[in-house]
Amino acid sequence: MAAPSAPPGPETAATPPERRVTPARWLRENLFSSPSNSLLTLITGLLLAWALVSFGRFLLITGRWDIIEVNLTNFMVGGFPRGQLARLWVAMAMMTIAVTISAGITSATAAEAAIAADRDPSVTVRERVQRAGPPLVLLFVMIVFVRTWLPLALLAGVLVLGVGGFRVGRRLPARWRGRAGIGAVLLIVVALTAISSFGGVSRDAWGGLLLTVYYTVGSLLLAFPIGVALALGRRSSLPVVRAGCGIFIEFFRGSPLIALLFVGWLILPFFLPVGFPTPDLVTRALIIFVLFTSAYVAEIVRGGLQSIPRGQLEAAQALGLSPWKQTRLVILPQALRNVIPALVGQAISLYKDTTLVLIIGQIELLAVAQNVTQQEAFIGQGYIAETLVFVSLIYWVGSYWMSRESQRLEARLGVGTR
Amino acid sequence: MQDGTLTGKARSPGGTGKVMIELHRVEKWFDDFQALKAVDLQVGFRETVVVCGPSGSGKSTLIRCINRLEEHDRGRIVVDGTPVSDDLRDIQEIRRETGMVFQSFNLFPHLTILENITLAPMHVRHRPRKEAAAHAMELLERVQIPDQANKYPGQLSGGQQQRAAIARALAMEPKVMLFDEPTSALDPEMIKEVLDVMEELAESGMTMICVTHEMGFARHVADRVVFMAEGSIVEVNTPEALFTDPQEERTKLFLSQIL
Repeated sequence: MAAPSAPPGPETAATPPERRVTPARWLRENLFSSPSNSLLTLITGLLLAWALVSFGRFLLITGRWDIIEVNLTNFMVGGFPRGQLARLWVAMAMMTIAVTISAGITSATAAEAAIAADRDPSVTVRERVQRAGPPLVLLFVMIVFVRTWLPLALLAGVLVLGVGGFRVGRRLPARWRGRAGIGAVLLIVVALTAISSFGGVSRDAWGGLLLTVYYTVGSLLLAFPIGVALALGRRSSLPVVRAGCGIFIEFFRGSPLIALLFVGWLILPFFLPVGFPTPDLVTRALIIFVLFTSAYVAEIVRGGLQSIPRGQLEAAQALGLSPWKQTRLVILPQALRNVIPALVGQAISLYKDTTLVLIIGQIELLAVAQNVTQQEAFIGQGYIAETLVFVSLIYWVGSYWMSRESQRLEARLGVGTR
Repeated sequence: MQDGTLTGKARSPGGTGKVMIELHRVEKWFDDFQALKAVDLQVGFRETVVVCGPSGSGKSTLIRCINRLEEHDRGRIVVDGTPVSDDLRDIQEIRRETGMVFQSFNLFPHLTILENITLAPMHVRHRPRKEAAAHAMELLERVQIPDQANKYPGQLSGGQQQRAAIARALAMEPKVMLFDEPTSALDPEMIKEVLDVMEELAESGMTMICVTHEMGFARHVADRVVFMAEGSIVEVNTPEALFTDPQEERTKLFLSQIL
């Protein structure tokens, strides 16, 4: 049947018809297809141009960026004692090594999986630039504002460590990967301890971006496993577990975050057992963020669990997998993959919600932006726009980066295609 | 109603006479609807039994009770000496020894075909990865899709997916295979490739219960055919006897409608 001769039927071209779009045609089709559309295009174009020009003027000409330059350290760490900054640099170096080695291992595993599935494992330059784009923008802005050579040299050192860590991670033999992962987690714990313990700086003296990142990353890392456990608990066959998880979730989802932060600030200490050391305020706020976020994560994950067809569970049961392995190996991976967009939405939301600690008197990034305008040199001169634009950039870079990485993760796990 | 066990004993296929699966007066209710009414059936070691009947007659429920995907309400089910009971250890024991193939394949979409097949051997039987993978490749050769090993289920045709699902069930080296309408979701040209695999499996001496509408397969491969209607076993006989000389009116009616 599959004769090499010409196929029967009418002759057809070997390639699909070519569709060329010239710039002129694109403009005509998309922007000037009718008189009313042309008018709209014109108006929108003018508005856009006006906005761009005024923002550009502000950025380059009228903006007085000296307030950022003078207060860069304040933005980064708030009231962190200046004599102890070395601890932060050491911690940053350790965390960079931990994170980049893990990233290198992940990258190597992804490449191996690609090779096993007969796909091209190489990453294009374009992809690399896109991934590194947002952090590089931030780095560039920071470098513009740094006035002394020491932070620049230290930053360069951290970057070198990061590149080195990534390379080491990529080349690490497969059998060491598990141990390297555990090592990375330990290194991060050691780094955090190095900042606050052994004569270090109590968390209550932390501020600025340091505090914002600590709250965001800390709550996400803790809230995620707790949320997954709550979601599974809410579907448990044991009524007590089910009810307990349900009450927990509904309570924390039903309370305003601000109210919960007040509870953590003022009321939580009274509920602790007598003689139990009261945790510092930052830790109490972190606990509140974790509880609040885990309730939301739980409901997102529960939605994911419900999206898995019953046949998947039946197939796992029929193979003789234990109930825990049915969940861990078959149901949960698919459920989590399906809710990546919602989970990242929650992460971004939490990142921005950390600004609320302002009302319990903590000076995180946004609070710094307000406070520095009250300094003697700047008070009453309307510097608020400059500081807000600067912290907006930092929030935007973080949110956009999370969003981009989640899109990459979705693509890698093949959401919607497999 | 004819007693299924009588004809079962009258013909003991495989020549061993050993009973692999025994159902005794099994009943199953879905709320007020009785899906199985006092079903008696014995399946011999290495026997291939085809279960047919109109939709809603309880065929799928019957085989799903055997590996406890459904819980039966009354009666007794014994698989290779192990009773199907509330005891989780008994259920796990039976599920390890019983492979099941579903109408909608139910391959795990987040795993490659090879990972689908090695999952249970590695995590239930604790086989080393290499050994499980080597065995999986043998099974993929057997169902004739070795070149699909590293693809994901979504990249395969329906027929290939179902053959992969059969390989996944076989990877646990089961003593019994249950087929729940394995070809009903397939395009006509893919049905044959799945039936060929099932026929080869039956010839190799696997004990099989197949719920299917493929009468050609039943006639050709089955040792016995069970005809069910409205939750009861109406008639059990060799394919030849059942198709050419049905005893019950209900069977005659069904056969006249589908043949």
